[in-house]
Amino acid sequence: MAKRRFRGPSLATKLMLLGAALLSLPYFSLRQLLAMEQFLIQGQAQAQLLTAEGISTLLNGRDDLFNDLPLSAEGYASLYAHPLPSAIRLDGRDGDWDGLAERRLVFGADPDSGNRPDGSFDLILGERADQLYAVLRILDRDRIWRDPDALRLDNADHVRLTFQDASGARGRIQLTFSGPGVLTAYAMDEAWRFASDGQPDNRIQGFVSPTNTGEGYVVEFRLPLAMLNARESFGISVVDVDDPVGRSPRTMVQTLPTAGPEAFNLIVLRSPEVLNIVEGLGYAGARILVIDGERRVRAETGAYQREGPEAPPLSAPALGPLEFFRPLVRGLLAIALLGQADSTDPIASDAVIDTALAGSPLAVRRRLSDEQEIIMAAVPIRGRERTLGAVVVEQDTDEILALQRDALDRIIGFAVLTIALVFLALLTFSLRLAWRIRGLGAEASRAIDQQGRLRTFELRREARAGDELGELSRNVSQMLARLNQHNQFLENMPRTLRHEINNPLNTLSTSLQNLEDTQPELADSKYLDAARRGVQRIGAIVQNLADAANLEESLKAEDLEALDLEALVESYVRNSAALQAPRRLTFQGPGNGVTVEAADYRIEQLLDKIIDNALDFALPDTPIAVVLRRERSDAVLTIRNQGPLLSEDTLASMFDSMVTRRDGTNDTKLHFGLGLYVVRVIAAHHGGSALARNLPDGSGVEIEVRLPLARRLRGNAR
Amino acid sequence: MKKTIAIVEDDPDQRENYRDAITKKGYLVRAYGSRAEALAGFEQALPDLAILDIILGDEIDAGFELCRDLLARRPSLPVLFLTERIDEIDKISGLRLGAWDYLPKPISLDYLAERIASLLRIGSQRDGGATAPSPSAQRIGDLVLDQDALLVSWKGQSIDLSGTEFRMLAKLVRAPGHAVSYETLMNATMQSLVTNNTINTHMRNIRKKFERVDSSFSAIKSEYGYGYRWVGS
Repeated sequence: MAKRRFRGPSLATKLMLLGAALLSLPYFSLRQLLAMEQFLIQGQAQAQLLTAEGISTLLNGRDDLFNDLPLSAEGYASLYAHPLPSAIRLDGRDGDWDGLAERRLVFGADPDSGNRPDGSFDLILGERADQLYAVLRILDRDRIWRDPDALRLDNADHVRLTFQDASGARGRIQLTFSGPGVLTAYAMDEAWRFASDGQPDNRIQGFVSPTNTGEGYVVEFRLPLAMLNARESFGISVVDVDDPVGRSPRTMVQTLPTAGPEAFNLIVLRSPEVLNIVEGLGYAGARILVIDGERRVRAETGAYQREGPEAPPLSAPALGPLEFFRPLVRGLLAIALLGQADSTDPIASDAVIDTALAGSPLAVRRRLSDEQEIIMAAVPIRGRERTLGAVVVEQDTDEILALQRDALDRIIGFAVLTIALVFLALLTFSLRLAWRIRGLGAEASRAIDQQGRLRTFELRREARAGDELGELSRNVSQMLARLNQHNQFLENMPRTLRHEINNPLNTLSTSLQNLEDTQPELADSKYLDAARRGVQRIGAIVQNLADAANLEESLKAEDLEALDLEALVESYVRNSAALQAPRRLTFQGPGNGVTVEAADYRIEQLLDKIIDNALDFALPDTPIAVVLRRERSDAVLTIRNQGPLLSEDTLASMFDSMVTRRDGTNDTKLHFGLGLYVVRVIAAHHGGSALARNLPDGSGVEIEVRLPLARRLRGNAR
Repeated sequence: MKKTIAIVEDDPDQRENYRDAITKKGYLVRAYGSRAEALAGFEQALPDLAILDIILGDEIDAGFELCRDLLARRPSLPVLFLTERIDEIDKISGLRLGAWDYLPKPISLDYLAERIASLLRIGSQRDGGATAPSPSAQRIGDLVLDQDALLVSWKGQSIDLSGTEFRMLAKLVRAPGHAVSYETLMNATMQSLVTNNTINTHMRNIRKKFERVDSSFSAIKSEYGYGYRWVGS
């Protein structure tokens, strides 16, 4: 098996890295989406501005609608009931009157010094769900609570409400407190002394509690707007009683400082006319406000707060099987939108309204919370001389956000899925490609054996593939075929050479013989001898080359038979030793026969070559040791000679054709480097192998030939 | 009367050398340079023995065709191939065609002359209808060797050996039971370029021919590293 050695990343890794480029897809989708969001937001803002514009067109020039209230009449405090965004808990604390604290109106303060005597109070009015809410913070260092047993109601601190009721009649309600806690309201007689019917009015609910500083108390109450008439005339008076014994009212602070006790304030609520105009224009998810020049809400319709489940219905089915990725997607989304969230700097709604009141329309995006975002568009309402107010259209961006989130979900979901699929495909493809290339490579390298001989002339793998690998396979096959042609030419070369040389050689040889016959006086000529030797030599060379070239072919034609290698080698060594005397050859075998399947004279030829070689390299007077042994399923024959060691290169290549390690020049024998090549070919033909190695003790070289034991007899030798 | 020897050889130098050497031995030589020339010559008169090269000019099998032609005219004509085509397959084809011997180049002219003489003698004997062993026949166990007629029989069955094989066998059985060295056997082939392997190949062929008539034949023993031994009992 060829060693696998990669210099760089494998194909698979490279393709994976390329595939990672796909990761940029979701990023670009996100950019696209953000641009789209921007566009949608702008579109919505534009739409809101148009709506506001449309409404303001209806109101433009309608000064009358805004003039029904004194804008800031001298001495008049307009009691403006602010729309309350959230429910108020009647608990005597003004903590839940968020953001309205600075709108409080102060009554009873010294107009010059700003000092506030006992009985002065501040007031905030609010309106929500057809109820009028009020919170009064009354300054009173000496609180006198109502004596529950007393019938008269004016002999303790109390609050009076005056109004025109729904029927147009004068309404008098007194809020009395018997201590901190729930207050009681009574309809009163004209003199404000006794309850007119003696029964508390339960439509009014309230609560009293002392202030934290102990310098007064807070009254918080509500009454249904239905109690008031259309003009919504309304007044509040605070009566302070300080003398615990006499219990007579000391001071009374009114919301109407100059008029008599029966006078009214005008309570400013949203203008019904304006509301009527605006009401029909409202649409879902949008809140329309009409604000007058004093920044008072004159009409309001719709709400941007959506009810019901927040999750947009689109996204769930769209993502479908990708539900699995949702957490991942959400995470990615959070990262992706991180920068986005900070980029929208919420502009206070006041600023928008200010801009509109100053005469320019404006739309901004406001983030109310992490979850909610609105677009607020404000357009001025122009009167004949001045800006009357502004139309504000507020709409949340839920739909856009939902759309965006859904699109993001889908984009990222599909991107993740696509990337996963593409990765899988790339991985499969690259693994298969690598497998194919490796297979092709392995087959290609197997096509030529270690000796460089072709084992096949055609690659079967990928031969039918239509792609470049198929092309490569076919090209390699073509190369192999051409190489084979060339190899055959080379293999046939010695034979061709012999054919071609034998004729002139024969001419030479017969000419020499004729010369000798016809010119007997030349018979002893040394030149004739030399010529004869030369002819002999050339003949031998050609013969040897042809023999080696033919060897494999002639081996194929031969039958192998079971024979006792030990007897053969023993006899061979004995005979050789006799012939080679005084050189010594020794033999050592297992003694009980070693049966191999072989052609005896080929084994003899093999021994000829090895012994020849060993004799040539052995130091004078050293023996050649031939050892035969059995090793597992092999017969192992080693021929050892003492003499010079060989280099690694020589050891590896000495069995190749035409390699010779002889460098002697005065050698009378012929050497073509074919001897050990013949050994290898014969060993291989018998299913064995041959190798050479230096002896571990450095004393010489040994050649080892392994031949498989005869199959039938393997393992149980006689 | 002088015997006529036909030599077909496309190389003029070799042809001349053969002609000179054989003429000197007292034969009448007719030398041809091509198949067409030879055929024309054979039309006029058949020789007593023909020496053929196989490749003649561009015709690589011309020698085989001539051989077939000659034997068709006179089946008992001794035909001798003398060629540079010394591959085993060529040798087998040649002998199968009915040639009497197959000699590789380069050749010893003395040996060639001797082969000619021997073949002519055998030819005349065979023509004479002598099938029984001649008086000169030698008997070693089951083997009968007729040196003159170049005939061999084993257990009564004749064995067809080529000239070279016959000479090697004759050397081998001269001293039964004694090992005969490769060198001796090499001399017997009378060829100039012989290796142990050549001897082995010849011996294998001889064995096979004996085994064909007697599957239990084992009289030729290898004397590994030295030569062969005849152990006919």
